[in-house]
Amino acid sequence: MSDARTILTPEHVEVRLTPAGLGRRFVAMLVDSTSALALAAAATLPFGPFLPPGVAQALFLTASFVTGWGWHVFFEAYRQGRTPGKQLLGLRVVDGRGLPLSLEQALVRNVVRALDFAPLFYGLGALACQYDSRRRRLGDVVADTLVIREGRALGGLGEGARSPEWNSLRTPRVLRLVRRRVSVEEAELLLALSLRAPELQDQARYDLMEDVARHYRQKLELGDLPIAGPALVRGLAALVLWDRRATARAPRRAS
Amino acid sequence: MSVEGFVRERQARWRRLEEVLDLAEEAPLWELGAERLQELVRLYRQAAADLNEARSYTANPELLGRLNDLVGRGYRFVYRRRHGERWRAAARRLFAEEIPRTFRAERASLLLAASSLLLGTVLGLAAVVASPANAERLIPSEFFTESPRERVERIEAGEERIASVGDAAAFGASLYTHNIQVAFFAFALGALTIVGGLTVLFYNGVMLGAVAGTYWLDGVQGFFFAWVGPHGALEIPAIAFGAAAGLRLGQALWLPGEKTERAALREALPSVARMLAATVSVLVLAGLVEGSFSQFTARTFPFALKTGVALLLFALLMAWLFGRRGRAEAP
Repeated sequence: MSDARTILTPEHVEVRLTPAGLGRRFVAMLVDSTSALALAAAATLPFGPFLPPGVAQALFLTASFVTGWGWHVFFEAYRQGRTPGKQLLGLRVVDGRGLPLSLEQALVRNVVRALDFAPLFYGLGALACQYDSRRRRLGDVVADTLVIREGRALGGLGEGARSPEWNSLRTPRVLRLVRRRVSVEEAELLLALSLRAPELQDQARYDLMEDVARHYRQKLELGDLPIAGPALVRGLAALVLWDRRATARAPRRAS
Repeated sequence: MSVEGFVRERQARWRRLEEVLDLAEEAPLWELGAERLQELVRLYRQAAADLNEARSYTANPELLGRLNDLVGRGYRFVYRRRHGERWRAAARRLFAEEIPRTFRAERASLLLAASSLLLGTVLGLAAVVASPANAERLIPSEFFTESPRERVERIEAGEERIASVGDAAAFGASLYTHNIQVAFFAFALGALTIVGGLTVLFYNGVMLGAVAGTYWLDGVQGFFFAWVGPHGALEIPAIAFGAAAGLRLGQALWLPGEKTERAALREALPSVARMLAATVSVLVLAGLVEGSFSQFTARTFPFALKTGVALLLFALLMAWLFGRRGRAEAP
């Protein structure tokens, strides 16, 4: 999550914006460019035979220019930051503060495409994305916009979301309990047990872990967590270690 | 409460929020109806609270990630600004009021851009007049196939290049699409680097001055004004406008003063967008003039007439953008 941006909504909920990677953006750009050109062709070529050759040429040139530059501006400003290509790939352009982008921002970020495109097919833009922590191309920098990944619909929210293997102990509640109720000696024991566990025989390790886990389930009131004994012990040990490191780096305020 | 129970209990309303958001992002607000809007806001608030709660239960990235995306979407919808105005009224206001007002307010960046261009022009002209050999160093060699006088004689004696409306339209379209991209490039360089934008202007000025110098030395400056003037009176200022818009944004990015960079950018954006709109529309007009009127020889339109039109177009452009009331007719 190092390159995620966090915004705080008025409801005091943190929402994280995950910057989109280059691959998806590149494919979305290809889809959009092709569609824009196809639109220009579809809108003007049928009239070609009925117009003087020069006028038809001018019409197509103008139409492809307008769709080429206007496509992104229109969809980003009036369709909630999603061009058809971006929608297909689960991307969205948003304002740097997480809000929808304004027409001005859409205009500016797309005009700067002229520079992002240089010297060869988005050379500068790709470099800028690669070296910016928020994956912004030059147009995003001057318009204060972000392209975020947002494809994950709730549809698949089933097994994965409820699966106990992800019910990590690293939550504020357990952390608080560990800090209050686990003594230094107990913490050392947890770490030592985890380190030496691979040396024990399978059956002995399982029994020992279950014993220790039972003690902590009671002590930390973790009865409701559907986690097996060995996983609980290792999880607690990892949590203790992580907390120590975090504390060593930035001393906790006394509270 | 276990995570499993939490998800089972709440996921119906998350799904509902997702449905309503799908609908709301596609359809206009009036089609959605007040009831569903209220439902959306209520569901969003609940989902936001659920996200906070979920974070205290679990670190499951699947659950937190999806819920996070959902709340982010809701946030964007609930706290967005509205685009309410009718398109045509907005366009009229843009050209009649907002663009002139912006140009008068952004004098500093416009003056800077214009000075850079003018300085280049004067230096290019002076260099060629002082020593004609400089022309070859300043102007790309493909322009040196013949002397200016030879070129004038060839063009003025030959057939008119533009024989039909079709010719003029095709040539004009290719000119303005190219010029607009050049202006965009100058804008982007100005916004990102400031110095880059000024350099593009200066370099274009030097070229213009040097070319003008060669025609002057050959005694055919009348032809030069008549051929470059009518569209140049619009095109050259328009390139400067585009670059000036870039400089204005560059100032916000690099020299935000006491404001944060973000606040400075936000303040600059409306002006910048209006200056860009002016640049594009003036360049389209310039391209059409260059593709037609500029191309005619003295046999069709005397040099005096073409030069007069050039001056008139320039005066109209300035009156539109900097006139007292800022309500002069749009070009």
